[in-house]
Amino acid sequence: MAAEMTKTLSDLPVSATRFIGRAVNRVEDPQLLTGRTEFIDNVVLPGMLHCAILRSPYAHARIKSIDVRAAEQLPGVVAVVTGEEARRTTQVMASLPPEWGTYCLAADKARFVGEPVAAVAASSRYVAEDALELINVEYEPLTAVVEPTQALEPGSPLVFEERGTNVMLQRVLTWGEVDQAFREADQVFTEQFRWHRLGANPMETCGIISQWDPVEGSLTCRGSFQAPGHMALGAAGMLGLPLHRVRMIGHPHGGSFGGKGGARGVGITALLSRKSGGRPVKWIEDRMEYLVAGGSQSWDRFYEVSLAVKKNGTVTGLKVQLVDNMGATGEGFAAFSTAKPLASFTGCYTIASAQYDLRLVATNKSPQSPYRGMGPPPHNWVLEQMMDIAARGVGLDPAEIRRRNFIAPEQFPYTIPSGNEYDSGNYEAALNKVLEMSAYQRLRQEQAAARQQGRCVGIGVVSTIEPGVFDWNAYAIVGMPMTGVPEGVTVSINLFGKIIVRVGFPLEGQGQYTIASQVLADYFGMEMSDIVVVPQDTLSAPPAFGPGGSRLGVALTGAILGAADQLRDKLIKVAARLMQTEPANMELMDGKLQIKGVPGAEMPLAQVAVVMLTRSDLLPPDIDPRPEATYVWTAPGRTQPDEQGRAKSYLTAANACHVVMVEVDAETGKVEILKYYIADDCGTRLNPATVEGQTQGSLAQGVGAALLEEYVYDDDGQLLTSTFMDYLLPTIYDVPMAEKAALVTPSPFTPLGAKGVGEGAMHTTPAAIMCAINDALLPLGVRAHEVPATPNRLWKLIQEQKRKT
Amino acid sequence: MTAPRPIRLTVNGVSYEAAVEPRTTLVDFLRQDLGLTGTHVGCEQGACGACTILLNGQAVRSCLMLAVQADGAEVMTVEGLGGRDGALHPLQQAFMEEHGLQCGFCTPGFLMSAYELLQQHPQPSDDEIKEALGGNLCRCTGYMAIMKSVRVAATKLRAASPAAAGTVEK
Ligand code: FES
Ligand code: FES
Repeated sequence: MAAEMTKTLSDLPVSATRFIGRAVNRVEDPQLLTGRTEFIDNVVLPGMLHCAILRSPYAHARIKSIDVRAAEQLPGVVAVVTGEEARRTTQVMASLPPEWGTYCLAADKARFVGEPVAAVAASSRYVAEDALELINVEYEPLTAVVEPTQALEPGSPLVFEERGTNVMLQRVLTWGEVDQAFREADQVFTEQFRWHRLGANPMETCGIISQWDPVEGSLTCRGSFQAPGHMALGAAGMLGLPLHRVRMIGHPHGGSFGGKGGARGVGITALLSRKSGGRPVKWIEDRMEYLVAGGSQSWDRFYEVSLAVKKNGTVTGLKVQLVDNMGATGEGFAAFSTAKPLASFTGCYTIASAQYDLRLVATNKSPQSPYRGMGPPPHNWVLEQMMDIAARGVGLDPAEIRRRNFIAPEQFPYTIPSGNEYDSGNYEAALNKVLEMSAYQRLRQEQAAARQQGRCVGIGVVSTIEPGVFDWNAYAIVGMPMTGVPEGVTVSINLFGKIIVRVGFPLEGQGQYTIASQVLADYFGMEMSDIVVVPQDTLSAPPAFGPGGSRLGVALTGAILGAADQLRDKLIKVAARLMQTEPANMELMDGKLQIKGVPGAEMPLAQVAVVMLTRSDLLPPDIDPRPEATYVWTAPGRTQPDEQGRAKSYLTAANACHVVMVEVDAETGKVEILKYYIADDCGTRLNPATVEGQTQGSLAQGVGAALLEEYVYDDDGQLLTSTFMDYLLPTIYDVPMAEKAALVTPSPFTPLGAKGVGEGAMHTTPAAIMCAINDALLPLGVRAHEVPATPNRLWKLIQEQKRKT
Repeated sequence: MTAPRPIRLTVNGVSYEAAVEPRTTLVDFLRQDLGLTGTHVGCEQGACGACTILLNGQAVRSCLMLAVQADGAEVMTVEGLGGRDGALHPLQQAFMEEHGLQCGFCTPGFLMSAYELLQQHPQPSDDEIKEALGGNLCRCTGYMAIMKSVRVAATKLRAASPAAAGTVEK
């Protein structure tokens, strides 16, 4: 099946492609640009109520009592719910690892600041918030544990007493003869790193409207759901409903980047709707809620990393010890982010042996969730820092040490020690390209000249893998029970010969509906305006996951081509009957059904569709009379992990090389990005403008990660960065325009040779900027080991060093 | 909570009379009372610019204002930018052609900020574009495509109204 599905552009039934590969305008844009797109907060339903959520002011506190009587009396208030009700009527939420979940409202104690403890449904959000002020909660504050060092100490307060430990999961995975590699190394380098929490922060927060049907005992939820099908599973489990009584309607949303789960929101609004007799209840998360306890705080990591290196710069072993501060629960599924690095553990390099010592620790911070890249960005960051350290140690240029260790083009498909298989690539070509584009030697000369003047200018050269098209299988190591991530579509043709494609995910921003339209327009020889993409709810859609893990461009293309092939076959059968020939004599070519080799013997698609839709009596026997086909695509060839977590997990391995030049102001610690160059290779570019957009947008998030963004907690577990005045997102002033070059090494494993690219530069940018900063700091004799590299952090490092010397 | 107060204002050329609670923000009034949902809310902290509208020709954040403060004002929102027949304004057209948007949530705010800029500076420099858009956050695009969109829109608009092309910048 898989082999059959792999096509190249020349396998399409057209003599020349017209839309695939071109930077066409996006079909979703006119609606978005005129403000007409139906984001969830635009939706108003009859009788709709508005929800506001009361949240714990303490990181750790026993809830002794909650008095909601005054709130219930307030005119306009229809329902109030608390943890007591959640405990009585719902299940604890799914979590990873399993059994680290809580109820959607805190039932016994609050485990982080911002944890919901009660909620109100009222005639307006204004009234609902008034009502929150009338709720009286009696707390018994407990000692909070905020850092994993503390949480691991014997006698530390326990986030979940019944578990007897704050360690959610610990595993040591060893691949190859790693100890031997370290024994036999000429040099061993070891460093510690700290990556601070940051998060997705899409411009639209999370939003949900839940409506309970008291007659049917069912739930309908509309919302900004990144993966509606999985939300439905979670909601059914939490609310104890059979799956066919849960309907999720995904709305277009204003970005997600991994952060639009909103499970608690579903539970809370569902309870309120039920209590309100089935009136719809809308909750729109405000920004402060998002920042304090919303969909995404990610990657709160302490690393110790060692590299075994030969004199000539060959890296033979890698050991990574990771302690990740998960926060209070596993409900955000952040454990994925610690497992995904297995997909690209040794980066672009032929490092033969490796070890991953992994500890997930519970604390009284907000639960972690996935964010763009899902874990490899910090992993790449430490690996690339180590490559630079090793380069210096053995006296090589950073570019050269990478070149010496690259997997060579003829080695693909290439299996890395942690078990994942890379499809294709030419890393040296990408490196050469970016070095040429940046005039690397000249950059080094400029740097030398700047150093002469006492300026701290540095250059980063890094090379990374972006694993694309995920499968759940790799996540078995952190307790995920599922395998396989399907993407299904239904393609149909109407009376007028136009195409309707029904998909199972809402609009999110990556231009997927455009890609669907490009592929179908080329396949059936139509204009893009002849195609319409219609999202379906979870009771109507074929099995689908939607965007995530840099997968949808590839998965959607696979699903569409599969369905289009099947539809074509059906149309051919009918046309052959009508033209009194054998199907084998017919083909779809350039938008027409024709008898092979007989000029003029053809039939328009519309004519065949009309017959199928109106004259089933004329159809061949044994044919499904609907002019439509459904195909569900799943990444082929994925395997289950072995004892050491080795699995073929991600289908594609895109590659990028970045060169960046920065200047650090030694007086203030401020970093300025002077130049930025990217050469990347994501195989076939289905829509180059979209790829560029993903890369540039992801670069911006990488700049944020490297320099600005951080959730800062105090010792009591209070979040100090609860507005956009303290949690700093990059602005137009902070993001450089990268000069970009594309290489195209098609994937042999995917339809049309495309590779996942949605997480893009996020995998590389933080590493590149940090390498450049450390290169700049070299003359000062200091090295930065923390991101974000805020002015204050760098300034302190520089000052301490000055004091010493 | 205090009793509703009457206000009158013009929004996208249409006059409205309404009674609003004094604490109602302008963006809530536009979105909920008038149903003009094109203006978006990203932060309610004045920090993201998603809610930017024009108030008497000036770009302002409608989340930081109360509806009662707009009494007597002339407001323009993204719905007032293009034609009623769905035709795109040259600025919108440029954003589409230059891929100046991804999820599109921040876009109405950017369009209104850019509209104000181009009214004042038909031929803006990159620094002027940055200054005009520096208070609008976009999480998707990384801004550079937005910069380009505004540059291209400026050119389009000057071509469409040659009078403006002669305007000399100070
Ligand atoms: S919503 Fe008004 S500035 Fe963010
Ligand atoms: S396009 Fe998504 S926030 Fe700007």
